[in-house]
Amino acid sequence: MSNPPAGGEGPGFGNAMPMTTKIANLVIAVVLIAIAASAIAATGDFPKSMLAADVGSARFPIIHAGALIVLCLILIANTLRAPTAPAATGEAPVGIAGYAGVALGMLATAACIAAMEYVGYGIATAVYMAVIMALMGQRNPLWNPVLAVGVTALVYGVFHYALQVPLPVGSLFE
Amino acid sequence: MHELDLLMNGFVTLASNPLALLLALVGVALGIFIGALPGLTATMGVAILLPFTFGMDPVSGLLMISGVFFGGVYGGSVTAILLRIPGTPAAAATAMDGFELTRKGMAGVALGTATLSSFLGGTASIIVLIFLAPILAGFALKFSASESFALAVFGLSIIASISGRSVIKGLIAGFLGLLIATVGMDPMDGFPRFTGGYTELFNVPFIPVMIGLFAAAEAFKTLEDPKVRLGMAAALGRIIPEWATFRRLLGTVARSTGLGVAIGIIPGAGADIAAYVAYNEAKRFSKTPENYGKGELAGVAACESGANGCTGGALLTMLTLGIPGDAVTAVMLGALTLQGLQPGPLLFKEHAELVFTLFAGMLFCYVAMLVIGLGSLRFMGRVLQMPKSVLTPVILLLCIVGTYAINNSLFDIGIMLAAGVAGYFMQKWDFPASPVVLALIMGPMAEANFRRALSLSGGSYDFLYTRPITVVLLTIAILTLFLPLVKRWRSHRAETRQTGAASSLNQA
Repeated sequence: MSNPPAGGEGPGFGNAMPMTTKIANLVIAVVLIAIAASAIAATGDFPKSMLAADVGSARFPIIHAGALIVLCLILIANTLRAPTAPAATGEAPVGIAGYAGVALGMLATAACIAAMEYVGYGIATAVYMAVIMALMGQRNPLWNPVLAVGVTALVYGVFHYALQVPLPVGSLFE
Repeated sequence: MHELDLLMNGFVTLASNPLALLLALVGVALGIFIGALPGLTATMGVAILLPFTFGMDPVSGLLMISGVFFGGVYGGSVTAILLRIPGTPAAAATAMDGFELTRKGMAGVALGTATLSSFLGGTASIIVLIFLAPILAGFALKFSASESFALAVFGLSIIASISGRSVIKGLIAGFLGLLIATVGMDPMDGFPRFTGGYTELFNVPFIPVMIGLFAAAEAFKTLEDPKVRLGMAAALGRIIPEWATFRRLLGTVARSTGLGVAIGIIPGAGADIAAYVAYNEAKRFSKTPENYGKGELAGVAACESGANGCTGGALLTMLTLGIPGDAVTAVMLGALTLQGLQPGPLLFKEHAELVFTLFAGMLFCYVAMLVIGLGSLRFMGRVLQMPKSVLTPVILLLCIVGTYAINNSLFDIGIMLAAGVAGYFMQKWDFPASPVVLALIMGPMAEANFRRALSLSGGSYDFLYTRPITVVLLTIAILTLFLPLVKRWRSHRAETRQTGAASSLNQA
C-alpha cells in the first residue's frame, strides 16, 4: 500500500530526501505529536476503574500516545539529520493541476455528503458523479449527464431494490 | 476423516443455495476485473464490496468476498502479461517473463499457463486450509485471556514487516491506529473515551475507515493524473498450453504452491512476497536459469501458483486465530464481523457447518476462476479500455453509498471521507495504511484481554511470564517485531561498507 513519496530518494544520494518530503515528515510528525499530547491530556478526565486489579481506561491510550510521540520524535530527528536531495527522480512529479484535481475531488465528496442530507441521494450523487467525471476530463455535454444519471440510478436500484437498503431521501423532500 | 464428512455436507448445503453460487461467480468475475485494472487491488475490491454483503446470508456474502479475493490475486496477471502493467503488486513478478512471452507472440499460452497455475495453486492452498484449520483452531481453544492478549500482540508485531520502506513510518501508522482504536467504550468499565459526545463513536467504525483508506484514497490518487487507460493490442492465439508443455511445469507449480501456502501462513507476508520467492526458487531449480526474464513459461507458472497458494495460508491464521496476515484478510475479517461471526477458534466449534460450507464454496470459487478466467481472456482487452474518467467516479460513488449502507449513517460517510483524505496523504508520504487497519482490529483485542488477564490474576503481571503459550507467543512477537529491524540495519551497514557512503535505505 505504500508508494514512494513524491520525489522519493534516488540512488546516489544516500539517505538524502527531497525538501518536500522533509517538510511533509516534519509537519506530519508535529501534527501527530499534538494529537497524541491532546489525547494524553484528555485522559486526565477518565474515571478510575472500579476494579482494584484493573489498570483503568486511561492506561492504554497513554501508552499508545506516548509511543506515538517517541516515534514522531525519532522521525523528526532522522529527517533533520538526513541531507537534502535534489527534486524527484523516480515518478513523474504531480503538477499543481494534479493536486488541484485531488483537492476538488475531496471537496466535491464532502459537498455531496452534506447535500445528501438535504436533497437526498439522487440529486446529490448525480451532480457529484458529473463533477468528478468533469474533473477527470470526461466533459462531453451529452454523455457526462447521461452517465451520471444512469450510474446513480443503477446504484440506487441495486441498493434499494436488491439489497433493501433505503438511501437518503433528503430533509427537503421528506 | 471428520473434515471430509463436513466438507461433503458443505457441498450439499452449497448446492441447495444457488444464490450463494451465483454471488461467488459474480465475486470471482469482479475480482478478476478489479485485479486486472492497474491501480485497483484485491484489497480495494474487497473493501468496496464489503457493504454489499451486509444484507446477504453469511455464506453468500462471504463467498462473494472470497471470490473477489481469489479473482483479484489472479486478475493482476492479465495486464502484467499483456501490457507489462502489473494489476497487483504480486503480478509484478509475473510481468518479468509474461510480457517477454507476449513479445514473442505467446501471450495466449502465457495467460493460459497463468490461469491454470493460479487455479492449481489456489485449490491446493484451500485443501491445506481445510485440513489444517481445525487442528490449529483446536489448539487455540485452550487459550485464555493471557494467551489471547499474547496472540493480539503477535498480530500487532507484524506491523514491522508490512511497513514498506520505512519501519518508523509503519510503526507510527500502527500506534496511530492503536490510539484510534481506543476511541469508544472502554472494554472493562464501559466508559466512553474520546467520543466527544457522539454516540456514533461508541464503537470504532472500522469498516468506513477501511473503505476510506483502501478504496477512496486510491480513487483520490487517480484524480492526480486522469489519463485514459492504455489499449490492448496483442493477439492471443492459443490459450490452453499443450499437455506436454504444461506437464513439465507441474513440478514448479507444486513447489511454488507449497512455498505460497507456507508464506501465506506467516502473518505479514503476502502474495507479492510469495510470487517473488516462488520465482526465485523456480529459477534456482531450473536447468536453464539463464532463460528467466527472457520469456520462460515456468517463471509465469511459479509466480502465479505461489501468489494464489498464499490465499489459503493467509485465510488459515485469520479464520483460526483471528489474526489477519495482510490487508485483504484484514478487510475479510471485517466481512466476518459484519455477519456477526467472530473469527477465531470458537468459529470452528460454534459454526463448523458454516465454515465447511465456506470451504466448499472457496473450492467452487477456484473452479469458477478457472472457467471465467479462460473464457474471458479474449474480450478482457476491450473491458480494460474503460477510461478512468468513468471508473473513478463509480468507485467513489460506491465508497459513499456502501459506507452509508452499513448503518444508514451519513456520519459514517464522513469518517470514510476523513480516512480517505488521510489515506491519500499517507500514501503520498510513504506511511503504510495496513498497520492502521491491523491496529484497529488487534488493538481492542489486546487491551480487553490484557485487562481481563490482569483482573483474573488479581493485579499481578505474572501471567506474562508464567504461562508457556503466552511466553512463546510474546517471544515470537518480539522476534517478529525486531528481526526486520535487525535485517534492515545489517543490510544498511553492509551497503555502507560497500559503497563507503550511506545507503539508500529510508531511515525516516
